Amino acid sequence: MHIDSQERDDVLLKRSAKGDEEAFTQLYRRNQAQIYRFALRMTGHAWAAEEIVQDVFMTLVREPKKYDPARGSLGAFLYGVARNRVMKHLERLPREFSLEVKNSEGEAKILEVADERTPAHWAEIRERRERVRSAVSSLPPEFRETVVLCELEEMSYEEAAQMLECPIGTVRSRLHRGRALLLAKLEMLREPPKRANAGR
Amino acid sequence: MNCEEFAGAGMERDLFLGGPESAAAREHLRSCPQCAALYESSLALSADLRELGQQTSDATTPSRVEMRLRQEFRTLHTTEKSRGRMVVASWLLAAATLALVVSSLLLWRKHGEVYTANAHPSSGTPVAVHSVANGPELGGTLIAESDGDEFALIPGAIPGLLDDTTVVRVQMERGALGALGLSVDEERANDVVQVDLLLGADGQPQAYRLPQSNN
Repeated sequence: MHIDSQERDDVLLKRSAKGDEEAFTQLYRRNQAQIYRFALRMTGHAWAAEEIVQDVFMTLVREPKKYDPARGSLGAFLYGVARNRVMKHLERLPREFSLEVKNSEGEAKILEVADERTPAHWAEIRERRERVRSAVSSLPPEFRETVVLCELEEMSYEEAAQMLECPIGTVRSRLHRGRALLLAKLEMLREPPKRANAGR
Repeated sequence: MNCEEFAGAGMERDLFLGGPESAAAREHLRSCPQCAALYESSLALSADLRELGQQTSDATTPSRVEMRLRQEFRTLHTTEKSRGRMVVASWLLAAATLALVVSSLLLWRKHGEVYTANAHPSSGTPVAVHSVANGPELGGTLIAESDGDEFALIPGAIPGLLDDTTVVRVQMERGALGALGLSVDEERANDVVQVDLLLGADGQPQAYRLPQSNN
């Protein structure tokens, strides 16, 4: 059965609930990447993000009536479900963090050197990225998700507030505090050790 | 603007987009090395976060997840369909069983009514007929074998001819029953009795019954 690519999410969901696989596939393809990136940035694990995406869409398959169009967009609903799954995952693995970045087929992504800078320079860049990722992953979940949404996903405060179901002021405040925490962590890492100089 | 106000203004986004607050913040940065350093760090952090975001900006779910989900979708909906069919089949079976029971009950009741009607004098169609041809005779008195509600075959009558019959009630002297081949007590031969005669298709009496009032 042909499905208009502009068909609304709630219409597709109704068709999906009646067993229309094409409608479900279209819904999935429309929303999966956003959910996957959010989960990946929050958990730091491709496997965890994959599991979370699967869980989120299984909820849509098994309990389509959980989504109420009157309460917001399907994207926001899926974000909410993903957020719950992410929080559960973080509760299980509070300190675990991976630096892996995998492509769509699950293979490790290799950083391609496109210019003539030295290996030492690239090593430094990789180290800095690692620090930033590590610092983000060590943030408390409520600050982390705000940083992920506003900085990594580049959402507006309004969009983030809608996703997190909280006032815009809360988003601003969490982002401010999250950034302050990140700065503190990164500055601590950047500062050179002072004990060696102190002894001399 | 002082350091506290600068920190409170928020350096996260768009400090230099314009407006009086931005101008005051820029002015403060020129005069405060500490806030300038903090701001530089904040800019570096923004760049790092942006880069981190870009690294995963094209990340997408592996295609195997879609395959798994579609498989699960198919399984779930196929199961639901077959479950639906099972439910319909169960209801149909239950309805058929109920219809069978009801029709059996109706048939049974109808059959019972026919039986009762046949046993009644006014119905005209006998069902249960007992022959007394070889039955007991008590002192020559004409008796019915049963309680008087059932017909007894007249000696010589053929039960197979009783399909199309008529019941006729007549009054006659008891002695006249002798003409039907029944033995009669001579002392009571002049008594007038009521007799139900079952006439065959040929008009000949095939069976008789003495109503209770005669006994």
